[in-house]
Amino acid sequence: MASPDERALRADLARPAFRLGQVEGRWRLAGIAWPHVLIGVTAKDGQEYVLRLDCAGFPQTPPTGGPWDAERNTVLAADRWPRSKGGRVGAVFNPCWKGGTALYLPCDRESIAGHDNWRTEMPSKIWRPADGIVQYLELVHELLHSRDYAAPVRTAA
Amino acid sequence: MKTIDIFYQAEGLREIAHLEVGAEENFAALKETIGKKHDLGGETFIFLEDADEPADLKKAAHGPDMKGGLKVHVHHCRHVQVGVTFNGETVQHPFAPSATIARVKKWAAERKFGMSEDEAGEHVFQITGTHERPAPNIHIGSLVAHPHCRIAFDLVPDERVNGAPGGEA
Repeated sequence: MASPDERALRADLARPAFRLGQVEGRWRLAGIAWPHVLIGVTAKDGQEYVLRLDCAGFPQTPPTGGPWDAERNTVLAADRWPRSKGGRVGAVFNPCWKGGTALYLPCDRESIAGHDNWRTEMPSKIWRPADGIVQYLELVHELLHSRDYAAPVRTAA
Repeated sequence: MKTIDIFYQAEGLREIAHLEVGAEENFAALKETIGKKHDLGGETFIFLEDADEPADLKKAAHGPDMKGGLKVHVHHCRHVQVGVTFNGETVQHPFAPSATIARVKKWAAERKFGMSEDEAGEHVFQITGTHERPAPNIHIGSLVAHPHCRIAFDLVPDERVNGAPGGEA
């Protein structure tokens, strides 16, 4: 029997806001291997980046995760991460941060730790349990559609 | 029976909602269904997303770009007066309640404040007097309640997360 956090996550994925994002091609559910959920987010050049999000404790506890190589079942190689033109994409998508297992976002469980200043400096990006996984995905999708986004050094074969 | 997916927002509704209706259902029936479900009595309007005018109630509930579903909005307000402030200057315009944050921001940032598309992408709407920054696909009607058919936004730079340059910053 699924745990309460897994049931909550599955219910969240059934909400219209998540489903609409799928219908519009902004993201798609690629799989669930509890406590992880794999969700592909589409960038402005059509490239899809699969995030593996650890959702243990969902929704009260924020998710954490980063780009994932679903074929090799490992963190995505650094040369396949989205690149930055010197701006905010590179600050968030940093393969060196936590070994590539977390995005440097205020709504990420691992990244908010030790960054209490973010709660006052960027309150709109702090995790909101009521908004669910879509909040995390909206922030990632926006970055992948920003002017700072650049394609990775190497794309999937 | 063939059905279509309806993704809708409405006055007083905090999140996007969904229902399935028969492909032959018209906008009048759809408006009534949504109104009953969410207790929206009295005269209301139904709009396609980002349309300026209310939908023709006699027509079948279809839109120009279905893309897997139809996006509509039901509201008591015919228009929402939007004010946007940037660098001390405020511009105003009435929009339909179904106007998305993305559309209104494009109007304000690019047409009124002269930003390029890229520059506009680095700015977001924040509801004046709050820290709330609605997502681009949110309809402005979901942020106001009749008879207060108006809302004010500040156009502000999106915060940039600094740090973690090489690792455990």
